[in-house]
Amino acid sequence: MLIVNNSDPHKSKSGYRLIAHSADLGFRLYGESLADIFVNAAHALYGVMTDRRKIRGLECREVVVEAPDVGDLLVEWLNQLLYLFDTTGFLGRDIEVQEITSQRLQARLRGEPLDEERHQLNTGIKAATYHNLEFKETADGWQAKIILDI
Amino acid sequence: MKSKPADIQLRRLDDYRWEVPQTGKMRTRGLIYATRDMLPDIRSDQSIQQVANVATLPGIEGASMAMPDIHWGYGFPIGGVAAFNLTEGVISPGGVGYDINCGVRLLRSNLSRPEAEPILEDLVNALFRNIPSGLGSRRKDLKLTTPMLRQVLRLGAAWAVKNGFGTADDLLHIEAGGQIPGADADLVSDKALDRGHDQLGTLGSGNHFVEVGYVQEIFDEAIAHAFGLFPQQITVIIHTGSRGLGHQVCDDYIKIMMKAAAKYNIELADRQLCCAPITSPEGEQYLAAMAAAANFAFANRQLITHWVRESFEQVWPAGPRALGLELIYDVAHNMAKIETHTINQVTQKVCVHRKGATRAFAPHHPEVPEAYREVGQPVLIPGDMGRYSYVLVGTPQAMVETFGSTCHGAGRLLSRHQALKAAKGRSILQELAAKGIVVRGASRGTIAEEIPEAYKDVDNVVEVVEGAGISRKVAKLHPLGVIKG
Repeated sequence: MLIVNNSDPHKSKSGYRLIAHSADLGFRLYGESLADIFVNAAHALYGVMTDRRKIRGLECREVVVEAPDVGDLLVEWLNQLLYLFDTTGFLGRDIEVQEITSQRLQARLRGEPLDEERHQLNTGIKAATYHNLEFKETADGWQAKIILDI
Repeated sequence: MKSKPADIQLRRLDDYRWEVPQTGKMRTRGLIYATRDMLPDIRSDQSIQQVANVATLPGIEGASMAMPDIHWGYGFPIGGVAAFNLTEGVISPGGVGYDINCGVRLLRSNLSRPEAEPILEDLVNALFRNIPSGLGSRRKDLKLTTPMLRQVLRLGAAWAVKNGFGTADDLLHIEAGGQIPGADADLVSDKALDRGHDQLGTLGSGNHFVEVGYVQEIFDEAIAHAFGLFPQQITVIIHTGSRGLGHQVCDDYIKIMMKAAAKYNIELADRQLCCAPITSPEGEQYLAAMAAAANFAFANRQLITHWVRESFEQVWPAGPRALGLELIYDVAHNMAKIETHTINQVTQKVCVHRKGATRAFAPHHPEVPEAYREVGQPVLIPGDMGRYSYVLVGTPQAMVETFGSTCHGAGRLLSRHQALKAAKGRSILQELAAKGIVVRGASRGTIAEEIPEAYKDVDNVVEVVEGAGISRKVAKLHPLGVIKG
């Protein structure tokens, strides 16, 4: 079961698809650049949790994550965003990658804390997992797959 | 170990048991509890391969097992049971899962269904008001300081009782007394503590719920009587776990275990199986951190119990004694524990991983509460919100065969997306109300994701564990009111 959800319909090489399995959820991520993959992963994550269109850009958060390789960096990134949500309710709308290598990501997020009156509460995500994690460079850019525990 | 699921041949042992023959790097066989009818579904994902992968881990004792509600997990399958000896065996966070000590507790009451029905809607509304649920649920009235949180991690449900949430009698009716020994808050990261500060006493989202139901059918009167159950009696089921704190502990230790597996030269068929020898510093540290998260979950369910009791008192002002909302049992279905078992006539300590599997100890086992010592440990199997749940009891056969373990639930049939599609244009709340079930949820979306037809019929799962003799049916509970995350 696939749902196309391109972050930009004019740019088909960048976006995300949900991979829905009976008890789990995953993202297939596409990007022209490495940074795109991380931006799209964040959008996919927030899109599962709430209606992203309702998130306002009221506050900024800086996130820095490090990992031994680029696949693990993706897991670390999403888990850091879940940590940020759990502790402060922060939902991101605009995601800007400031610096990226295969082992370190520095990003700036603009968004706002969850407001039960305004935001739709959808699926809660426990964690991003290393299960069947894929990360590869293709002729069109980059592709990744990540499975979440929900 | 990259073969497709369809490549693995299963050998039929009897109507309820299928063997995954020992091949390749497997150190033991796999054993799946299922009927023939369940196999196509089980074969549709990688779960059989995962049973085989677990069998490759060092120090495994007995078979790598899977209960009939098996489906693929991360590394270990959901529904997986695996025990490891303490000499060369391993401990793996993937064999426990992200929601450490996710579990179920069951409360009895003195109320009967006809008495409760007129107040049901008010009761469900009170529960929904008093117990934060859903995505990002937190308690505004209970934010723990770090020293308090550290006490929760050490004391578990006993912390809650000590602070006025429940009674000392409650503690006698919880697995391990609601306090796993050896918990060390120093081994829980600051990030995990941060996530725990205001999540104690909250349900969370997904398949977690509080359900008011009644005893629809009794299969064993003597045991039902021992558990305090009678026909038409109002009961309450609470299903939740260790919230973000537990998820963070799992994530933290998966990273530690990936390094440890390399350090101790443990060959992994799947990275998410990462593990360390039980007696290594990494193994001991995970066990102590996992125990701390498990204690948080026990305290969580204890606090929710307190607010369940308060909610009943708000709508049924007869006082706690008349209500008789006593704890029957609280049992985990995501945990690794050091237990004593007899393997090939030798009594030894092993580390039993149960991931989406419930401990089910037999009569006379010293860890079964005294009140149930003669009949066996209560086992709580939640179904979907439209059908029924089961109370089972542990058997001697489970001690011999599954390290005292059984199934944990119905298991999903539809993906969340398929469920949303199936629910489109329907009012799930009205459909359930027409069946006499009042449902309140944090969002319409999550209720739609949890529609009854998204789940397998728990009857089929229970039929297998009873047919195989690893637990026995005691009572069937039918839902009347549900609050969903």
